[in-house]
Amino acid sequence: MNSLLAFENVESGYGNARILHGVSFVIAPGESVAILGRNGVGKSTAVNTMLGIARLFAGDVYIQGRRTTSLRHYTAARAGIAVVVQGRGILPNLTVRENLILGGAANRRGHWTLERVFELYPVLAERANSAGTALSGGQQQMLAIGRALMANPDLLVLDEPSEGLAPVIIDEMAEVLRRLSADGTAILLIEQNLTLVERVADIFHVLSKGRVVEHGRTEHTSAADLQKHIAI
Amino acid sequence: MAIQVLNGLVYGALLFALASGLALMFGLRRIVNFAHGALYMLGAYVGYTASLQFGFWAGLAVAGLVLAALGVVLDKAVFRPLQHRDPLTTLLVTFGLALIAEDLVLSVWGNDTMSFAEPQQLAHTLSLFETTFPIYRLAIVGFGAAVAIGLVLWLRFSRVGLFVRAASHDPVIAAVQGVDTDRVSALVVAVSAALAGMSGVVAAPLMSLAPSMGADILVDSFIVVVVGGLGSLGGAFITAMLLGQINVLGVVFMPELTSLLPFLLMIGILLWKPTGLAGARL
Repeated sequence: MNSLLAFENVESGYGNARILHGVSFVIAPGESVAILGRNGVGKSTAVNTMLGIARLFAGDVYIQGRRTTSLRHYTAARAGIAVVVQGRGILPNLTVRENLILGGAANRRGHWTLERVFELYPVLAERANSAGTALSGGQQQMLAIGRALMANPDLLVLDEPSEGLAPVIIDEMAEVLRRLSADGTAILLIEQNLTLVERVADIFHVLSKGRVVEHGRTEHTSAADLQKHIAI
Repeated sequence: MAIQVLNGLVYGALLFALASGLALMFGLRRIVNFAHGALYMLGAYVGYTASLQFGFWAGLAVAGLVLAALGVVLDKAVFRPLQHRDPLTTLLVTFGLALIAEDLVLSVWGNDTMSFAEPQQLAHTLSLFETTFPIYRLAIVGFGAAVAIGLVLWLRFSRVGLFVRAASHDPVIAAVQGVDTDRVSALVVAVSAALAGMSGVVAAPLMSLAPSMGADILVDSFIVVVVGGLGSLGGAFITAMLLGQINVLGVVFMPELTSLLPFLLMIGILLWKPTGLAGARL
């Protein structure tokens, strides 16, 4: 299977509760994919399944084309899938520079180095020795994305990256993600912000009650059609 | 008086070397390790046996290596399987391990008192404050300082130290970045056990070897970790130095209250600052 990440009939959840019911999707190299849905439909559970945080009851997860039976928290990062977790996960006891170095823990060589991340986000260079959580929300999101890039990922997964950010910051983030995508990095966007989805993703999957109920290409779907899936 | 302050420094340095391992382990694994005193005692006996053949320094090195290996085994066989269990379970298991270690030492080395000679190079005295002071005791202060500096350099300036600090704050976020937190944990427990074992060797020339020697100092070590701020090395250092002075000066000025003073210090500081002096991890 030529994919970076694939779910095949995945059933997963927490404890004994199943959140995802037979979810399947595939992300090929270079693709930009969005998973849409209302709050609580299982979007983050999909990410957490890949990270070994949620429990996999049935189905298969393929990472870099290989069926992965033992999903540890670090499996994805070491296989070239970097994740910007929901809430950003910036460590307050590390400086900005240290948070970025931590992103390179998977030891994957490539384009992205500390210097390149500082070029992409000069404000991070200016605040390199500040505590990670001393940054504004927008700057913390830059740090979270920069940290993920330090892993030199083939696939960048972002879980609700626009959460709590001002529209102008979301615009800047969309621009960066488009550039990354144009440079060949695949992107998986878990989002409710349609503006960001439309600007970044080529393909979408809609989750509802733990199932994929619709999928297609964003260019062939109107904003109104997408909106109905995430409106409360 | 100055000599008493120096003796307080000696005990504080020893206490820090031992308690730093407890703090590291609590910071990363959230483990209250009641077997830490037993590791200190085992280190003293292992070092003693090795020193009979190869001398003090080899005994110190062998104790460090053997206890580090034991730490890895403990992490894999005990701490990792218990990491998601009730903290009380881990506490009881480590308490049981301490009892097993004491019985093991009794079986292997017996109940006879053994004395561990200090290294010949340090078996001299120094004229200080119009009296003499054993150089070996000053060397213990150096040992405590070396442990403190070494840990700070390791945690602040090495890549692995960065991973330890990250995993101590949020093991899931650290692992998602690609850090194998199980390996980091095994390393931390190994370092912690090695420090306990080496502290046992360093302390041994000041006292007789006995299976109960770990239990005696463990209570003070816990006070150091709790008062310093659970998991904080800086807090542990300050508290160890303070406790060292309280223990020694207490004997001189308030002998009837000496055994109570560490607990009074703990109650007073925790009432003032419930998270301990530093109040933060690593």
